[in-house]
Amino acid sequence: MPDRTLQGEPAAHERPLDAVHLEVRWSRLAAVVDEAATTLLRAAFSTIIRESNDYTVVLMDPAGRTVAESRAGIPAFAALIGTLTRHLLEIFPAGTWHEGDVVITNDPWIATGHLPDIAMVSPVFHHGALVGFAGSAAHVPDIGGNPTLGVTDLMAEGLFIPPVHLYRDGTRNESVAALLRANVRLPVQVWGDLEAQAAAHEVCRRRAAELLEDIGEPDFGELSRLVHTMSDRSTRAAIAAVPDGVYRSSLDADGVEGRPTHIECTLTVDGEHIAIDYTGSSPQVGYAVNSTLNYTTAYSVHPLKLLLDPGTRTNHGSYRAITVSAPEGSILNPVFPAPVLARHLTGHLLSCAVHQALADVLPDRVLADSGGAPALRVQFAGRDEAGDPFAAILFASAGMGACARQDGLSTTAFPTNSGSGSIEALEATAPLLFRRKEFRTDSGGAGTRRGGLGQDIEVANPGKAPIRVALLGDRSQHPALGIAGGLPGAPAHAAYDDGRTPPLTSLSTLEPGTAITISFAGGGGYGPPSGRDPAAVAADLRAGLITPAAARRDYGTGAVPAADGTNDGKPNP
Amino acid sequence: MTEHIAARLSCTIGVDVGGTFTDLVLHDAGRATTRTAKLLTTPGDPSHAVIEGVRRLLATAGVGIEQVTTLVHGTTLITNTLLERTGAKVGLIATEGFRDVLEMGREIRYDTDDLYARPAPVIVPRHLRIGVPGRITADAAELVPLDEAAVLEAARELVDGHGVEALAIAFLHSYANPSHERIARELVRSRHPGLPISLSADVAPEIGEYERTSTACVNAYVQPVVGAYLDRLEADLARLGFTGTIALMLSSGGLTTLARAKALPVGLLESGPAAGAIAAAHLAGLAGEDRVIAFDMGGTTAKMSLVEHGLPHVTHEFEAGRLDRFKPGSGLPLKTAVIDMIEIGAGGGSIASADGFGLLKVGPRSAGSVPGPVAYGRGGTRPTVTDADLLTGHLDPDHFLGGELTPTLPRVRGAFEELAGRLGVDAARTADGTLEIVTENMAAATRMHLSEKGRDPRAYALMAFGGAGPVHAYALAKSLKVRRVIVPMGAGVLSAFGFLVADPAVEDVRGYATPVAAADWTKVGELYEEMEEHAAALLSRMEPGTARIVRTRSADMRYLGQGHEITVPLPDGPLSGSRAGELRRRFTERYTAVFGRELPEGTPEVTNWRLTATLPTARPSLVHASPGQRAGAAPLRGRRSVRIPGFGVCEAAVYDRDALAPGATVAGPAVFEEHETSCAVGPDCTAVVDAHHNLIIDIDYPHPRSEGATG
Repeated sequence: MPDRTLQGEPAAHERPLDAVHLEVRWSRLAAVVDEAATTLLRAAFSTIIRESNDYTVVLMDPAGRTVAESRAGIPAFAALIGTLTRHLLEIFPAGTWHEGDVVITNDPWIATGHLPDIAMVSPVFHHGALVGFAGSAAHVPDIGGNPTLGVTDLMAEGLFIPPVHLYRDGTRNESVAALLRANVRLPVQVWGDLEAQAAAHEVCRRRAAELLEDIGEPDFGELSRLVHTMSDRSTRAAIAAVPDGVYRSSLDADGVEGRPTHIECTLTVDGEHIAIDYTGSSPQVGYAVNSTLNYTTAYSVHPLKLLLDPGTRTNHGSYRAITVSAPEGSILNPVFPAPVLARHLTGHLLSCAVHQALADVLPDRVLADSGGAPALRVQFAGRDEAGDPFAAILFASAGMGACARQDGLSTTAFPTNSGSGSIEALEATAPLLFRRKEFRTDSGGAGTRRGGLGQDIEVANPGKAPIRVALLGDRSQHPALGIAGGLPGAPAHAAYDDGRTPPLTSLSTLEPGTAITISFAGGGGYGPPSGRDPAAVAADLRAGLITPAAARRDYGTGAVPAADGTNDGKPNP
Repeated sequence: MTEHIAARLSCTIGVDVGGTFTDLVLHDAGRATTRTAKLLTTPGDPSHAVIEGVRRLLATAGVGIEQVTTLVHGTTLITNTLLERTGAKVGLIATEGFRDVLEMGREIRYDTDDLYARPAPVIVPRHLRIGVPGRITADAAELVPLDEAAVLEAARELVDGHGVEALAIAFLHSYANPSHERIARELVRSRHPGLPISLSADVAPEIGEYERTSTACVNAYVQPVVGAYLDRLEADLARLGFTGTIALMLSSGGLTTLARAKALPVGLLESGPAAGAIAAAHLAGLAGEDRVIAFDMGGTTAKMSLVEHGLPHVTHEFEAGRLDRFKPGSGLPLKTAVIDMIEIGAGGGSIASADGFGLLKVGPRSAGSVPGPVAYGRGGTRPTVTDADLLTGHLDPDHFLGGELTPTLPRVRGAFEELAGRLGVDAARTADGTLEIVTENMAAATRMHLSEKGRDPRAYALMAFGGAGPVHAYALAKSLKVRRVIVPMGAGVLSAFGFLVADPAVEDVRGYATPVAAADWTKVGELYEEMEEHAAALLSRMEPGTARIVRTRSADMRYLGQGHEITVPLPDGPLSGSRAGELRRRFTERYTAVFGRELPEGTPEVTNWRLTATLPTARPSLVHASPGQRAGAAPLRGRRSVRIPGFGVCEAAVYDRDALAPGATVAGPAVFEEHETSCAVGPDCTAVVDAHHNLIIDIDYPHPRSEGATG
């Protein structure tokens, strides 16, 4: 532990920087990474970075502790770049870094948990001295290998890049570049994304140096110490407000064929500290749903932060008061070289586990399970009319869980913020014909507050060649559960129009002239359905979000007007 | 031609209906005078204040209504209709299976820090959205013919069953082939004459079903309100004896006809802010500045936009009716041309407070005009930026709001003392810090805005206007390392002048995505022919028989696979395969400027083809007949202490701006006061009054590359 916790934080008037100076500096730090993140997003090629916001950008002090983290992208990843950089400093000590160096790696155990995520770290020099690091991670569109769940070890999942210099002294390492390009299917796009990352680093580096120049500081040491102290204090104060105790939850998911995933979460609140432990969870499996401890930590800490202390700027100090552990060899802390490609299928469940564990102690804050935890992705691949290969990913969202104050949002990404792209844009780039993208009636879990609705998407193959459909999801046997008496949402489902129902982690074929309908899960409800305001039930009926039959079943016969409930504006009898 | 000269020698009136005030400006070309008037807006029927204001202006100017040839109008009516959700009951006819696209949106959360954030409520509720069979594909082909009976049945249900007052029609791929939308419109029109109908292909012919549908629905939502208002205004003006032309200010800064405004009201959303940017662009031209950051700071917000070579930057995406004004994504996305402007919660009324960490924060909350800053003495208790301006000497308590109000300084000091206690500093530091932080907030937003375009603020001049703009211009310029600040005469009421200098314009676009190398140039030529014919027809309605149309063509471009486009000007002359290399070169140039690198292996692609057609008009010279202008008055009013960032408290000479003659040169530290605003500059400045009465302030920076920069 490089930092001690602060006994007696200096009172405001003893701070070396007053309330104005510190605010100005802190907000400029935040602006540095926000600007860098914007650059990455705008220059990126891959739809994954763009539409699923699968990236992060941070600025760190010379010890590899984050001082500013981008709010856009996946905030959960920011802290991992800090741990990665501290690890890199063991391999490449501080004195060995030069201006213009760029180190990359995709090692899932030290970076963000699977091979397509490439992490990048570069030094920031100011007046010849190493004053910090810029860091980022982004999901590139391909990393070689066989991207399916069937593989049984990491090496089959693609190119493994240990920490290596992509640039040294500002010069590209052509051997690394050549090796990388030779091992991926979309070299131009992958390289374009890496260049976008490098462009973001350049903005981060330049702005950070400008900031030091403007404030007349030699490095980020003092500022870093101050913001870490304040963020740490903020997290601790938020934890201290939660009654001490040991809170537990357990949940189950489909996992892979024959190997359902079990998560056992023990969350201990002790004064100003929270420890999350996953002892009792499933052992690691020979399929790609293992979540490295890094990923497990990120997807446990971030939901906690959002529940307890949302909206404050985050940095290294924000996470000191929270520890995460899982037994080695478990699905939440697998041993190298376990396959990890689809680690989100396990990791996204942890936000549900954290909320469920705190349901009794924070009833007015927690959310019921979301249908999109984990997210369901569909990849279509094949050859277009001209015989050229194509691959397209369908981004679409399930329903969010409800909470004490409101219904869950329908078709909204959570816990990620991966939006949906345009159907028109997809049809313009891939030989697919969408027939339907609509709210899925009756999919929101009933409750005092209803879970958000999922959606039905029907896709036809209008061409003459078969299209390969890769489904990657969960929640076909295990719907999003309600909370505080709320009912579960509808499970996810996929069906071809000939009646075949492919499992949600499978490869299948969409024959010419046929169609597949993918039904995204609904969110869980909050509170007993009997507590729902009849006017809310009536509004759902009128909008067609629930059917009269479901309303009668879940909310009682009195909930449905004698007519069909779809009359407009006329008073009900 | 004689007719034109005659027209130029008569009067033009500009009217800006804002949320609180209706500003009017009259320019009398014959006498080369300009007059302004300000009235409270009459929200019940905004045309009341307009008519009353016109009457007053004519009376004070001694001009008859028959001398007024043009009335140029801008209004916040549409913005308010969306914010207050007081528009029409709209029905939507969509492609079968896709009626929920409008409500699903982008499926993201605009505030990922807030687990409970909800999106803006959908503008057409689900029971008023009906899908009908019929399908156009991405290559513009008809796959399934439009089910005409279903269209009529949907319209019947929406109109007769639900009583919708306006209809939007949005089908998939209509940007590529609008035939189904057009057939549907004719069908519905035949059964329901008089029902306003908005087609997505007319309103926003670009790829992206959600944004296009949203734009069509918003257009339908505001159409009846805007139509009724404009009809009323037209009738009221006619009763007054007005026989000239009414032109409407577009969000992009151009002018359009009454008829087109009624058909596409969504294009008028940002007319007020656009006028400010147009005025700034005009003045930048007069001052001979090629690159200007227009900085408009009022009571609640600050707005920044870029003007290059006399033209404000225009963007084609906008968001209206945000739940949280300063959170992108919390509103309704629109595909429409608007002046590219950022707006942040930094104004004179922005409130200073302590956050959970005991750090000083300023805004985005504002005390507004009621209760307003503490100094107003109208019940405000929380210190604001304006209050800090008073305590630091940037505003003069004896000439506060033009001397119309005497601020209660002890109360202002008390408010800062109270806040200072929570911050662990003293009141003076709190007031000073309030200015430092509001400046930093504005500087950060400006840097971000320029950075997105690959621009460096140091290459720009800062033009400050709005009531609070000149007051904070020097500090902002220093933070951005800008070398020149321009404070135009009458900076406090500058926006209204934009109405006098705007040109009639048409913005149009066609979505046709293609790699440059594979472009069908015949098709591109046809698209432009269609757009140019349409533009010429519209512009000729504003000036019959005109041959002076200026066309600017540009393309939205990216590397194939990217999701973000940059706008690239197209070469002049006929487009063909032989010009592809030139287009590719221009794209690479722009791309490198923005992202600092090019991608030699990438494939440049065009997504949208754009046309801007304008009708340049003779610009009136705006000699501002300021009510306070005192020829021959002594310019030096006295001296006072002002806290200047970087220099501490300075004894500054105070000048009466109105009494400074062109050519006057003043060395800082100095304060320039005028009726609506004030501007203090540091000892590192030299200010000159130019021929147009603009104050040109040059800041002297220490040599940047000298040794010992760390010291």
